[in-house]
This record gives sequence, C-alpha cells and structure tokens, in this order.
Amino acid sequence: MAKERSPQELLPLTQPVFHILLALADEERHGYGIMQDVAQQTEGALQLGPGTLYGCLKRMLAAGLVEESEERPDPALDDERRKYYRMTAFGKRVVRAEAQRLAGAVTAAMSKLAGESL
Amino acid sequence: MTTYLLGAFCRVYSLLLFGYPAEFRREFGGPMLQLFRDRCRDLARRGNPWEALRFALHVVADWSRSTLRERTANFWNAGRRQAPRSSATEWAGTLLIYLFATTTLVQAYVIPTGSMEGNLLIGDHLLVDRMAYADPGTLGRHFLPCRDVERGDIIAFLYPEDPRETYVKRVIGLPGDRIRLEHGAVIRNGRRLIEPYTQHIPTYPDAYRDEFPLSVSIYTTPRGREMFARDVHDGEVVVPPGTLFALGDNRENSADSRYWGFVPRNYVVGKPLVVYWSYDAQTADLQEWTVHHAVDVATHFFTKTRWNRMLLIPRSQRAQEVEVVR
Repeated sequence: MAKERSPQELLPLTQPVFHILLALADEERHGYGIMQDVAQQTEGALQLGPGTLYGCLKRMLAAGLVEESEERPDPALDDERRKYYRMTAFGKRVVRAEAQRLAGAVTAAMSKLAGESL
Repeated sequence: MTTYLLGAFCRVYSLLLFGYPAEFRREFGGPMLQLFRDRCRDLARRGNPWEALRFALHVVADWSRSTLRERTANFWNAGRRQAPRSSATEWAGTLLIYLFATTTLVQAYVIPTGSMEGNLLIGDHLLVDRMAYADPGTLGRHFLPCRDVERGDIIAFLYPEDPRETYVKRVIGLPGDRIRLEHGAVIRNGRRLIEPYTQHIPTYPDAYRDEFPLSVSIYTTPRGREMFARDVHDGEVVVPPGTLFALGDNRENSADSRYWGFVPRNYVVGKPLVVYWSYDAQTADLQEWTVHHAVDVATHFFTKTRWNRMLLIPRSQRAQEVEVVR
C-alpha cells in the first residue's frame, strides 16, 4: 500500500523528518547516530531530543519511509546492542521529491530577488 | 563519581519516560534511554558544563513537547493538519503531566531529624521514587520498574502513629525474621549483623535501646506496646506478615521500630532517589516554612547549601552476617 502512494501526498516534510531521512540516505544508523548526523548537517542548528526523534521515527515507520534494520552493537560506542534504521525505496522517493520542491522554491526566490545578493 | 551521576540521570530520565503513552514507551523507551545515556557519556567526555546544562534544558523542553504530541497525535502528519493549540492548552497539558509526575512518580521530602545521620543529614531535600516499591499488579509486574523491599533498603514511609508524617529509615527485618539487639548490635535470625552503614555515637547507656526487646518503657508508643504484647517470643520480635522492621542508621539517636512497632507494607511510599538540595538548617525550620526560614534561605543560600551533597544517591546496603558464638 505504501508503495502505491505518491510521494507528493507527504510534502512538505517537517524539518526534523527531512533531516532524519537525509541522515539515513547514505547508511543505516541508530538513534544516537541520527541525532549526531542531523546536528552535523545543520551545523548544530537542529538538535533533536530523544522524544522528537523517536516520535518522528514512529510516524516515519508507519508511513513506510524507514524500516528497522537488525539490532547490533556500535563499534564506536560500547557493546550494547542498538536498533538500526534504514531508508526504504519509498522514503528515498519522498526525500528526493522534497529536495526538488525545495530546489524549486530556491530557484523562484533567486529569480524574484535577482540583483540582491542572497 | 560520574558513573553514579550517570546512573542517577538515567533513572530520572527513565521516570520521565512514563510521561509518554504506554504503547510508545514500550516500543521506543529502551532506545530513548540508550540515546540519552550515549549523549550524557559524550558530554561527560567533553567536560563542558555549559553544553551539559544546555542539553539538560533541551531534554526538558523536548520531553514536554513530545509527550504532549504523542498523547494527542495518532496519525502521521497530525502535527501539520491539527489546528495550532493555544498556548493556554499547551500549558494546561504540561501542568497535568507535571502534577501526574509529582504525585504518582516522584515526590519531594526533606529530612527533618538526624536519625539517618551518617547517610542522610538534617536538611537534605530528597526526591522519592514512588514507583520503586509500588505494587505493580499482575500485569504491571512485567514492565514496570518495581521490586520488592529487601533487607538493607532505605525506605520512605508514612509514620504508623501519624500517617501525616513521612519517615525515612532502613529495613532490617522482613516478615518472619526474628530480631533482637545485643549491646547495640542487631541479631537477625540468630546471626549477628555487621552494618557498615550505621553510625554509633558515644552516649549514655540505654538498655531499652541497646538490648531490645526487654520490656515497654515510657517511650514506647501504643503500637509499640502492641508489638511487645503480641510479637515478642523468647526475647526476640518476630516480624508479622505484611510488615517491616525498620531502624535508623544513627542507632543511638533514632525513634524507630523499637519504639513504635512495625511498618505496614502498604505504608511504604517509595525509595529515596537523590538528594536534590541540601541546606544546613534546624529541625524546626524544616518542618514548616516560616518567614524567618525564608529570609535565612534567601540570605545564606550559597553559604549554607551543602554543595557536596547535591545529587547524592542514598544507597541500599547489605549487612554482613556472622554466626553468634554463645
């Protein structure tokens, strides 16, 4: 069912959801890994708290944007097992559509504000 | 020290998790706590107190926002389609959760007397974990962080002679245990306890106190007399079912089960979690707030606060048992 839906239905994405998807674009990560990557992407402007992060993940799981991967320890932290998440094909289409939408918005802004330095 | 603190913070955070709907907590509670712990460890490694403070404030804000959201939003973009809540309802919701948290999860108490001196001082302000020894019921047993009271645990409980007061003592006897004192040392089920947590002060000898149970004295309360009449067999008290025998750590200066009898199990409020503030004050000032005390706190806050006791965790400790040589 999730596969048949058009990505457009979910747009625009909220800021946390967009950045969480971006964090999962290159590799699967666990909760703390996502939090660190989002902070890095936004240069510290968006700090996700545990409640916000897992609240978003819950809704993203339900919408079929991400899925759970297996549990395993993170070699960089300690030997506790962590739940990893990865992006689904549908999630990839949604994040692409959102990036396109944003790019469109930026182009529009550029042409309207031509002459002013952005 | 940092591991103690880390444990305390994680315990507080795991209590905060109860603000989320049960379903959400069951699914994500574990990973959230893990993330919290990872972040705390990272911050401890970097050792920047401002960053830590910012994280603490951030977690509180995140908690109040996301508990509200999880409780109201059931479907995917609920956050976007919902009419924006007025700030009044937001506050009402937060207030409700706060009231829930402070009445059922944790409660604040102050130690007004020196009966636990050595571990808890007069003026220690405590958070008591009310879930710790609560009866979880048959269903809750599987996922609530409850356990039964054990010997050596510190408990907060309603004073049996006057349930309006709350006392903090250490559990010495469970139902069925036989207890007596010999020269101030506890003999439990025929074995002498070596109790590292007690404090003994030089004082006048008192046979009632040190050779308990002999016979009732003028200090024995009505419930204490009941205990003497019913539960003393062969020079020992036998702890009846559904009750506990509790003594103060400051053994020579503690009004405890020796004087007022057993603590009914259902009078146990919870487990002291952490000292959140310790202020050097007199017993009388701590029992009720007076103008005098308020002025004292306002003018001496920084000098009379015992900073080294902040976030101290009162711990359960097991006594060592040795055979009594007769």
